[in-house]
Amino acid sequence: MQNSIAMTILIFLGAAIIMVPLGKKLGLSSVIGYILGGILIGPFCLQLTGRDAADIMHASELGVIMLLFLVGLELEPQKLWQIRKRILGLGVSQMLLSIVGIFIVFYIAGFGLKKSFIISLCFAMSSTAIVLQTLKEKNLFRTVSGESSFSILLFQDIAVIPILALLPFFSKSEKALSQAGHEKILLQYLPEWLQPFTVIFAVMALILLGRYIFTPFLRFVSRSGLNELLTAASLFLVIGVSELMISVDLSPALGAFIAGVMLANSEFRHELESAIDPFKGLLLAVFFVSVGATINFDIIASKPFFIFSAAFIVLAIKAVVLFAIGKYYKMNNEQSFFLAFALSQVGEFAFVLVNFAASLYLIDYQANSELMAIVAITMCISPLLLIFKEKVLDSRFIKQKTEENVELGIIKQRKIIIVGFGFFGSTVGRLLKANGIRSTVLDSDPDRVALLRSNGFNVYYGDATKPALLRSAGIEDAELLVLCLDDPEKNKFLVDYVKENYPEVKIFVRAKNRLDAYDFLNKKVNNIYRETLGTAVDMAVDILQENGMRKYTARRMGKRFMLIDKAMTRRLAKEKDKDMITFTLRESLEREAELLTLDSISFEENHWSGEGDDEDK
Amino acid sequence: MKKTLVLFAHPYFEHSTTNVKLLECYDGMDNVTFRDLYEDYPDFHIQPFRERKRIVEYERIIFHFPIIWFGMPPLLKLWIDEVFDMRWISENGLNILSGKDAIIVASVGGRENNYSLEGKYKAEAEDLLIGLKVSLDVNNIDLKKIQIIYNADNLTDAELTLHCEDLTEILTIE
Repeated sequence: MQNSIAMTILIFLGAAIIMVPLGKKLGLSSVIGYILGGILIGPFCLQLTGRDAADIMHASELGVIMLLFLVGLELEPQKLWQIRKRILGLGVSQMLLSIVGIFIVFYIAGFGLKKSFIISLCFAMSSTAIVLQTLKEKNLFRTVSGESSFSILLFQDIAVIPILALLPFFSKSEKALSQAGHEKILLQYLPEWLQPFTVIFAVMALILLGRYIFTPFLRFVSRSGLNELLTAASLFLVIGVSELMISVDLSPALGAFIAGVMLANSEFRHELESAIDPFKGLLLAVFFVSVGATINFDIIASKPFFIFSAAFIVLAIKAVVLFAIGKYYKMNNEQSFFLAFALSQVGEFAFVLVNFAASLYLIDYQANSELMAIVAITMCISPLLLIFKEKVLDSRFIKQKTEENVELGIIKQRKIIIVGFGFFGSTVGRLLKANGIRSTVLDSDPDRVALLRSNGFNVYYGDATKPALLRSAGIEDAELLVLCLDDPEKNKFLVDYVKENYPEVKIFVRAKNRLDAYDFLNKKVNNIYRETLGTAVDMAVDILQENGMRKYTARRMGKRFMLIDKAMTRRLAKEKDKDMITFTLRESLEREAELLTLDSISFEENHWSGEGDDEDK
Repeated sequence: MKKTLVLFAHPYFEHSTTNVKLLECYDGMDNVTFRDLYEDYPDFHIQPFRERKRIVEYERIIFHFPIIWFGMPPLLKLWIDEVFDMRWISENGLNILSGKDAIIVASVGGRENNYSLEGKYKAEAEDLLIGLKVSLDVNNIDLKKIQIIYNADNLTDAELTLHCEDLTEILTIE
């Protein structure tokens, strides 16, 4: 079928738009919705897509590449170091045990040594896309099972690299058998003995590029101050790297991943995330739909018993291995079941690996389609398993739920995001840093960001009033948001946005003056810092001293003034809400003077039984 | 149980182990209000009117603090300076404190045998609290009990548990 690209995208998105809300209504995750949509439009149902599965997979490949780039961006070396033991422990045990289990089964089933080994390598992987999507939807990132899942996925992501490098070695002897008909392939992969070295060369080149070219390049672009240019630059970078990798016959996903890691430490990390994320989301949707659309029902129909039993055996082996690992790491039943079901499917890396293996003639076309069908089936089933766990098993574990938050020892500090790192914000940040409190900082001045980073601050470039940047800075699991932007309107916009979307986050906001403070008070923010209050009072205190007042007394009067002023602001904010501003403002000034004199009198008198309770606030 | 206000003052609470344990005794007690002065007034700016209004409501005040350099923590002293009023003790003055009672709970680092006239410090621990004792007395506050916890930096769990039991019992003294 000769659909134009736009038409294909239209069909794919249409399927997603219709099926995902339907799936949600039935309590299914969006992933199942996408896959069902794919089956619906696929060649075996409505025949809206072309029969050529490879086309669709190719269209969505960029989504996986972007996903890997984003995963790379998450892989900051320090963060990696902190959880290294868990990644290694959980990851190695999961990979090894799954590989061994799957290898044994397929070997016994008569697949031959090499083939079974390659299949087990591919099938030991879980789906980063599906699992991360699920964790995000169910908001499970901070739970023990969520963190363990992430650790295992992280290890698998890394394991792909040596596996990709390893596969060509296996093809050596295969080549001998199939040499005759495949000169073209040989040409592509020649010279054979150089194969592992091209991987190393490419990785080295990317590391150098990331170090010395990418960041200055992005800095140069960001100085133009045009947001869309930076988005363009991000896309250029990702697609450019993947094309570069393709041109040297390496996996573009691997290239994107390394580029991501290299940029994880740069100030553009969150900006890149927010720029790439919508594209990734869209393309992954297309990817999931294409998973549905590429399920080859002919092959399933021709060998239903083999395909389904293989899928179930793979699921069972992986689930058992994961459950045992969960138990070994002292998780409770609920957590272990989550781990077992969430990661039991075969991941999208398998598509990449299986295709790669097929292109190396390690497996034939028939086996390729069969394996793809198995992968797709496991992908469809594992979300159902999670629903089964949620609906049926969880009720039995409710008693154990209280243990949920016993952390296994990852980062526990309250997560702080500081927006705006000018003279105001940097003072806040410096005091925090001096006390060993880490925070994520967002600022939109590229020169300042570069300067601060060279001094060891954790600063990222970007316009925080774009929700996507806040999201990628981790607003979802942030506990404190510190708004120090110069422009009060931007601060107000952020307060509104965060209050509406993340009501749990505690907000600390900088206010220019009283009038700003009223607005923030009426937006139900409690921690408001008027930049004109403290310094002005300090100044007045010093002037009182110059006039002969004892320093201690002057300081006390200053303190008392601040308390009264804050209380008055709170009260006036309520009245301002009723549009009485002009009248009450003057009244308030009179009242303020009155209160100040009253307060110094009442200090002399027995005023403890008085009515007014302003001081309480 | 009497309506009780606990005034706790500890400038280095984050380094204390004994007092962390002792404070647990106040948790969940009926009629007990616990106040941590160093949290309420981190900048030493005490609001006397608020304090006076509050204090009227209680029948018993517990002063709970470590003895540091042979005296009470400065913020507690400041609290008394700011909140208590000399006019309350004049002949015809109305005294809002009159008739209340008080308990002092104080921890000290040194061993008990150092705190005696013959010992290392040549003074008893109670003598160090003389200013507070007189202040209470002159305001007609009945000091029910002074509980000194010696050797507070080196208590075993068993000893701590005993001290906690003592404190819980003291809270209910009539």
